[in-house]
Amino acid sequence: MLFHSKKSALGKTYEDGEIIIRQGEEADCMFVILEGKVEIIVDGESDDAFQLALLKEDEVFGELALFDDQPRIASARALGTVRVLSVDKKGFLQWIGEEPSFTLRILIKMAFRTRTLISEVVRLRKELRACQNKTES
Amino acid sequence: MELKNGSRIGIIGGGPAGSFSAIFLLDLARQVDLDIQVDIFEPRDFTLTGPRGCNMCGGVISESLVQKMASDGIHLPDEILIDTIEAYTLHSDISSVRIDDDREEMRIACIYRGGGPTGAETQTPLPKISFDGYLLELAKTKGARHIPERARGLEWDEGFPCIHWPEDNQQRYDLVVGGLGLNSPGLKMFDGLDFGYLPPKSTKAFISELYFGDEEVERLLGHSMHVFILNIPRVKFIAITPKGPYATLIILGDGIDQALVKQVYGAPEIKKCLPQGWEIPVQTCTCQPKINIGAPVNPFTNRVVMVGDCSSSRLYKDGIGAAYRLAKSLAYTAISHGVSEEDFQRFFMPTCRSLDWDNRLGHLLFFGDALLRPYSWIQEAIITVIRQEQSDPDSPRHLSSALWDTFTGSSSYRNIFRRSLHPVVLFNLVRVLLTNLARQLLHR
Ligand SMILES: Cc1cc2nc3c(=O)[nH]c(=O)nc-3n(C[C@H](O)[C@H](O)[C@H](O)COP(=O)(O)OP(=O)(O)OC[C@H]3O[C@@H](n4cnc5c(N)ncnc54)[C@H](O)[C@@H]3O)c2cc1C
Repeated sequence: MLFHSKKSALGKTYEDGEIIIRQGEEADCMFVILEGKVEIIVDGESDDAFQLALLKEDEVFGELALFDDQPRIASARALGTVRVLSVDKKGFLQWIGEEPSFTLRILIKMAFRTRTLISEVVRLRKELRACQNKTES
Repeated sequence: MELKNGSRIGIIGGGPAGSFSAIFLLDLARQVDLDIQVDIFEPRDFTLTGPRGCNMCGGVISESLVQKMASDGIHLPDEILIDTIEAYTLHSDISSVRIDDDREEMRIACIYRGGGPTGAETQTPLPKISFDGYLLELAKTKGARHIPERARGLEWDEGFPCIHWPEDNQQRYDLVVGGLGLNSPGLKMFDGLDFGYLPPKSTKAFISELYFGDEEVERLLGHSMHVFILNIPRVKFIAITPKGPYATLIILGDGIDQALVKQVYGAPEIKKCLPQGWEIPVQTCTCQPKINIGAPVNPFTNRVVMVGDCSSSRLYKDGIGAAYRLAKSLAYTAISHGVSEEDFQRFFMPTCRSLDWDNRLGHLLFFGDALLRPYSWIQEAIITVIRQEQSDPDSPRHLSSALWDTFTGSSSYRNIFRRSLHPVVLFNLVRVLLTNLARQLLHR
């Protein structure tokens, strides 16, 4: 199409397997997935690597960076071709100052993740207890 | 004066301010389990080409707005994007410098507000969706009702504002939102509510869509917005933005007339961005919309509030971003607090005031620019400092980033001021000025 030149897409494109953020790195932005799927992995370069989450279009990752000063807690890897848009921490903090309700959507997403995490911890605890009970008996 | 289940909100104008208001009102209402009905009055057909289908602007969606919308789950689909911007090129009367984004990422969007320039239908495939059309559709998917009519009158009905539209239709609302922009004679209708509203001061700008063809646009402009700080009287700012096969020329200034436009086209720096031997076509898509340069008086009362250009905006930049911000503040006030004058005064007014105060600094910045513009040695020093910052990846880019934010509209004027007056910037400018002076003396 004449109207759509090569660069007329927002964000940055990553090819399959490319690392978007690396665990342990300094963090100054979060990402919104515009197109494709992203895999969140922990200890990505070791043998114990495991997938923490599989995210798709419209979901965000790396959002903890907006609220604390800690390094990245996990890595994000492109699954197939992926297009993401980064949202700067500096701008984000300024916008919250201007408009507190701006954070609402991110907070709702974080609340959802915390809820999922708690259910996961409860499930694992129960499994562990069941295993312990089995070995004891 | 709170909104309840079944409350009706009437929004006059389905430009960015009106549609963003509807989107945020409906989103927030859903969060708190409130069932409201939102009507948007918008007569314009955004699929039409030329000024009939267009809300007349430069069509650059700022870096900050692209990020804010994405965080809010509003992703501009590819069908809207005509182009993206990866750099700004600053042209002065003596030389030019390109300022690149630090990240290798596209975060500034070029869009059309309507169906494209006049005549585009015969030259190229049209963009499928206009920006304003997309936002209006989004508001509809969230539950807003689109009434494709022009609101004709307003009056009070037992303390509630009532909107009139053709064929003797009328409806009483719990809240009326005025998002008519500045180009509508309809603003007069608010006199009927007698709350002392006066629209902000405005001035006429100039926009022209120039057809060069894809290849010429790519060759001459690339994915860069070209900004011109030229010593032409009455002109504050000139920009040429790539838009696929078109280039959008914008002139901001005082009393722009044909003679001034001709002078701009004749400037050597502008000519460098036009194809060789290119003549101004007799029939281009050209308009002279009003641009907000002031603050409104009394932009709200009980159950009535003004948003977007007819309220507070941002001086010479990111008007759509300002509309987004006001719409968000309005939605938060109306849903979380109420729709009385007092609620707007406490929760909505601070947003207006913050924009208005920042614009005062913006005026000061433009005043300073006008004072310094005739001195080409100062322009030269500024361009040299930017060049030095751009060529050294390790040097802090104070001036480049301040200018980047000025052109992209990504930051407040206060922030830009602070960074432009950073001791490192001032030191570098003085150093370059002295070096240039010494060189000239030696030369003599
Ligand atoms: C030269 C120029 C260049 C600009 N460039 C940019 C830019 O690059 N980026 C940017 O972010 N901003 C830019 N702006 C600013 C931007 O255009 C405005 O800030 C923005 O359009 C404001 O949106 P709005 O919804 O308030 O008003 P508008 O966009 O004007 O929308 C008002 C709507 O109300 C409707 N309406 C009017 N009267 C009635 C009625 N009686 N009943 C029903 N509906 C009615 C109209 O049809 C229209 O759709 C520019 C402005 C100018 C003048």
